[in-house]
Amino acid sequence: MPLKFTLNGKEVCLEDVPGEATLLEVLRRKLGMLGAKEGCGVGECGACTVLLDGKAVDSCLTAAWQAAGREVTTVEGLAQGETLHPMQQGFADTGAVQCGFCTPGMILTALDLVEQAPKPSDQEIRRAMSGNLCRCTGYHDVVRAVRRGAKYMRGEGEEQ
Amino acid sequence: MSRFLTPATVQEALEALAQPGAKVLAGGTDLMIFLRQARMNGAELPELLVDVTRLPELKRLELDGPGCYLGAGLTFRFLDESPEARRHIPVLAQAASMVGSMQVRQTGTIGGNVANGSPAADGMSALVALDAVAEIASLEGVRHCPLSELITAPNQTTLTPGELILGYAITPPPEPEGQVFLKVGRRHEVAVSRLNLAACLDRDLADPRVVLGSCFPSPRRLADVEALIKNGKPGPALWQAAGEQAAGHFTDVCGWRSSATYKVPAITRITARALKRAWAQLEDRS
Repeated sequence: MPLKFTLNGKEVCLEDVPGEATLLEVLRRKLGMLGAKEGCGVGECGACTVLLDGKAVDSCLTAAWQAAGREVTTVEGLAQGETLHPMQQGFADTGAVQCGFCTPGMILTALDLVEQAPKPSDQEIRRAMSGNLCRCTGYHDVVRAVRRGAKYMRGEGEEQ
Repeated sequence: MSRFLTPATVQEALEALAQPGAKVLAGGTDLMIFLRQARMNGAELPELLVDVTRLPELKRLELDGPGCYLGAGLTFRFLDESPEARRHIPVLAQAASMVGSMQVRQTGTIGGNVANGSPAADGMSALVALDAVAEIASLEGVRHCPLSELITAPNQTTLTPGELILGYAITPPPEPEGQVFLKVGRRHEVAVSRLNLAACLDRDLADPRVVLGSCFPSPRRLADVEALIKNGKPGPALWQAAGEQAAGHFTDVCGWRSSATYKVPAITRITARALKRAWAQLEDRS
C-alpha cells in the first residue's frame, strides 16, 4: 500500500515505505526536503521539527506512516515565491540565524506557538522554544525573532 | 523491516496485537528511539507496528461524573492545555506540562508513558496519586490493574504481548482538594526527572496522597508519610516532618547510595514544598 499525505499543500504518494522509517528520513531522502535536520535523533534538539496538521512534532520521533492522510508542513512550504513568510522575515531581521542548522525547526515551532498565542509573552516564547537547541547565536535573538515574527504575522509591521 | 498498521477500532488493534512480533505505537517518543537503536545495532525489528494513536476510544476524558476516566491515548499536550484537566486533575495537568518539549508533549501519551515503565516517568507519579487503575484489553478480555502493580521493575511491566492499555479509572481525592506536582531536573525545561513528587491533600486530611517518583524501581504512594499527615495538624511543622519521613522512606528502601547526599535533602524539601502548596491551593478553593 502506498503512503499518501499532503506535503506543503501538495499530495505525495510513496511506495515501499517500511514501518520503522521516520518521517524525517522520508522527507529528506525520498522527497528532497532538506530543511528538517537530524541533530540528536532522540527528541532533544528540535532540529527536525515539522508541522503535522499544524502542530509541531519531532519528525525523528514520528513514524512516516503516522503522517498518512495528514498535512505535513516543512520550512520549504512557508515562503511565497521570493517573499519570505513573516516568521522567516522576523528571524532574518533580528539576526537570529547564524549557521542556520536549527532555524527551520525554530521557525516551525514558533508558528505552532503563534497559532495558539498570537501575541506571546517572552516567557511563553522561551517555554515553547525550549525543545529547539541552538549552538551558535544564543537565545536572546531567537526570542526577539519570534516576537517580531509574531508581530509581522499580526500585520503590525516593523518593531520599534 | 516492520509492517505498519493503523487500526480503526480497538477490536482490530487487539487482533493485530495478537500476531507474533507485534508492538504498540502509542505516540512513538520512546518507541522510535528504541527502533533507531535496533536499526543501528542490526538488531531484530518488530514484525508489526500497531499505531493506536487514532483510536477514538483511547481519547476518552471523563472527569465530571462519579467514575472518572482517562483514555490511554490522551497526549501530554492535551492534558497540559485542557481546562477540564487543569480544573479537576491539576496534579496530572502540571506533570504533563513538564514532560519533554512541546514537540514531545504533542505526541507522547499517558498510555505509552506507563507501558514504557520508566522510573522517571512524570505522568506515572501523577496517575499513581490519582489512584489510577489501568484497564487493559486483549483478545482474551479485559483486566484491571493498579499502576503500582503494573510496573514491576524499571522498564518492566506485567503487560504481556497482545495486551493494550485502554485507559485509567481514577479516583481524585474528595473536594475541596489541593493537588501539586513538582520535579527536579538538570534544567528547567526538557529535563528527565531526577526526582518528582505528586501530592494531594483534602480539607480533613482524610485521604492524603504522596507519591515520590524517580527514586524507586516502581511507583508507589508513601504510606508512612500519608499516615503521618492523616494524624497531624496542617501547617509548616507537619509538612517538614512529612518531608523528613519521605527522605527516610527513600533511604530505607534504597540504602545510603552515593546520590543520597543530594537526594535526601532534596526529597525533604520538595515534599514539604509540595504539601505547603497543595494546602494553600485547597484554602484558595474553599
